[in-house]
Amino acid sequence: MENRIEQRMQQLQEKGEKAFITYMTAGLPSMEGCKELIKAQEQAGTDVLELGIPFSDPVADGPVIQDASYKSIQLGTNLKKVFALMKEVRAEGVELPIIFMMYYNTALYFGLENFVEECIKSGVDGLIIPDLPLEEQGELQQFLQKEGAPILIELVSPVSADRIPTILEGARGFVYCVSGMGVTGQSGNFHKQILNYLASVKKVSKIPVMMGFGIEEAKDVAPMKEVIDGAIVGSHFIKLLEANDYAPKAAAEYCSRFKKELNQL
Amino acid sequence: MERKQERYYGEFGGQYVSESLMNTLDELDKAYEEAIHDEEFLKQYHYYLKQYVGRENPLYYAEKLSKAYGTKIYLKREDLNHTGAHKINNVIGQILLAKRMGKTKVIAETGAGQHGVATATGAALFGMECTVYMGAEDIKRQELNVFRMEMLGAKVVSVTSGSNTLKDATNEAIRTWAKTAEDTFYIIGSAVGPYPYPKMVKEFQSVISRESKKQILEAEGRLPDVVMACVGGGSNSIGMFADFIEEPSVKLIGVEAAGLGVETGKHASAMALGKPGTLHGMRSYLLQDEDGNIELAHSISAGLDYPGVGPEHAYLRDTGRAEYVAITDKEAMDALQELCRLEGIIPAIESAHAIAYAKKQAKKMKPDDIMIVCLSGRGDKDVHTVADYMAGKGYLN
Repeated sequence: MENRIEQRMQQLQEKGEKAFITYMTAGLPSMEGCKELIKAQEQAGTDVLELGIPFSDPVADGPVIQDASYKSIQLGTNLKKVFALMKEVRAEGVELPIIFMMYYNTALYFGLENFVEECIKSGVDGLIIPDLPLEEQGELQQFLQKEGAPILIELVSPVSADRIPTILEGARGFVYCVSGMGVTGQSGNFHKQILNYLASVKKVSKIPVMMGFGIEEAKDVAPMKEVIDGAIVGSHFIKLLEANDYAPKAAAEYCSRFKKELNQL
Repeated sequence: MERKQERYYGEFGGQYVSESLMNTLDELDKAYEEAIHDEEFLKQYHYYLKQYVGRENPLYYAEKLSKAYGTKIYLKREDLNHTGAHKINNVIGQILLAKRMGKTKVIAETGAGQHGVATATGAALFGMECTVYMGAEDIKRQELNVFRMEMLGAKVVSVTSGSNTLKDATNEAIRTWAKTAEDTFYIIGSAVGPYPYPKMVKEFQSVISRESKKQILEAEGRLPDVVMACVGGGSNSIGMFADFIEEPSVKLIGVEAAGLGVETGKHASAMALGKPGTLHGMRSYLLQDEDGNIELAHSISAGLDYPGVGPEHAYLRDTGRAEYVAITDKEAMDALQELCRLEGIIPAIESAHAIAYAKKQAKKMKPDDIMIVCLSGRGDKDVHTVADYMAGKGYLN
């Protein structure tokens, strides 16, 4: 079976559309509520969903996602329960590409082989592990060669510079361009050379280029529309969910509007 | 891509950081390697160690302690350094490196405040802007050290995420660094963090064992049988071990904090009960719960209250080169009071853990055997904690 992320990327390319990707922390407001949010987003046209596996020390995240992780851990969310949730949503017919955004220790502790096995069984399509740079990926990659295993999404940052071609060499799905230097959820003030940076990634990338960190509305990426293939919204989406009591309707409205506006830029 | 084995100690170490820090760490490693092979840099470093820190400090033969426990016990007096502990050795080294790299700002994490105070001191000396990240809980518990840092011109940022303690302050320092690495140098205080930090901290702390080796050869004409130090993240211990690692006749012992006892779950013994994992950019033994989340450490000593341990210690343990043991709060507090009365030295509670195990180890040794214990810091900072403990009020840490 073809990977759902790669499949979606190809469909979008054929239609000439940009991808809209969201991030939300798994287990909020509850496992059941989380499931409803996943379904609502699929209906609303979200292209890929990043499901955050909460970790005690989310060093690549800003305050919004830190708080969400903390809350979710307090509610008892763990990897095992998120795998169970994944199995349910897949059994209920959800075909939305889903990525686990997680820290390496969570997978390590679970046991890498076992972890990948569970990903395959529960229909996890991709992994984003912000504390696992290219040099440290070999250990995990050996298990990801298996049929149906999730793909490891590569991240690049504005200071990756000469590392970019090497990082992109084996990259699959899409490349996640961190827009700022820091952590998730800093709005507005994008890196001064962001355009040049995105253009340089776009130039060498054979796969779609997504921009993430600090995006709130589709218009935020208007200046970069020529050099990106989609946008990722995390912290702002979490804030929006919190402000609306995690109502699936509010999530769906935001997602369908963003997706529409993104493709009208 | 293949793992870069030179960044590892066996299975431990590495660089588990975000992509945005990888070039920064490479630059840092290159700059460090150049500096450490540059005589001008070394001259400067040793100048400040001598004239500012007050090195070399004594290797003191603790006669009454030796007599009481039946073997020769020497204390390496890091407590006599400026700012009262070994932390300053590393700060001077890293801050000189920061200046050499053209950085104008330094940041640091701190738990009890000792590394924060040392960093603020170095920053004042070298005219650098200094921000120290400290958990909101620790700020409450260590008011006096917060005030000290502020007197020295540092800005103390209260961290309110997760457990509001040292590990969260470290997370916040790493986050800030990822955003500001262009002009900011992150001074890590312990032998932890992503490569090359464990290597740098070891080098800048190895002055402890270099001096000790020379001093013991002068005093006794031979190497010691045992070298011992307390282990939190492991900076004083890796410095105390460094020059003895290649001397197979010298037994190396690291003393972790057992808190209320490792069996109670309220402890800080990453080596005794931790499992390998990744935190703060490194792979090492860590205290973790059944989901792989990092657990809080517990110790009366704020400096040992860390859920992980430096990667080289993890390697020394697994290869059997060093032995790691644990001492409870009570044993440490008893040893602290005993050293006060026997030798007229008030040790830091951290260092008292090493003294406590020295008493146990001495029983296995002969009268002519020699043991060196690293007295990593003085106890002035702990007087409140000791008073509360003795009054039966429990402790704040």
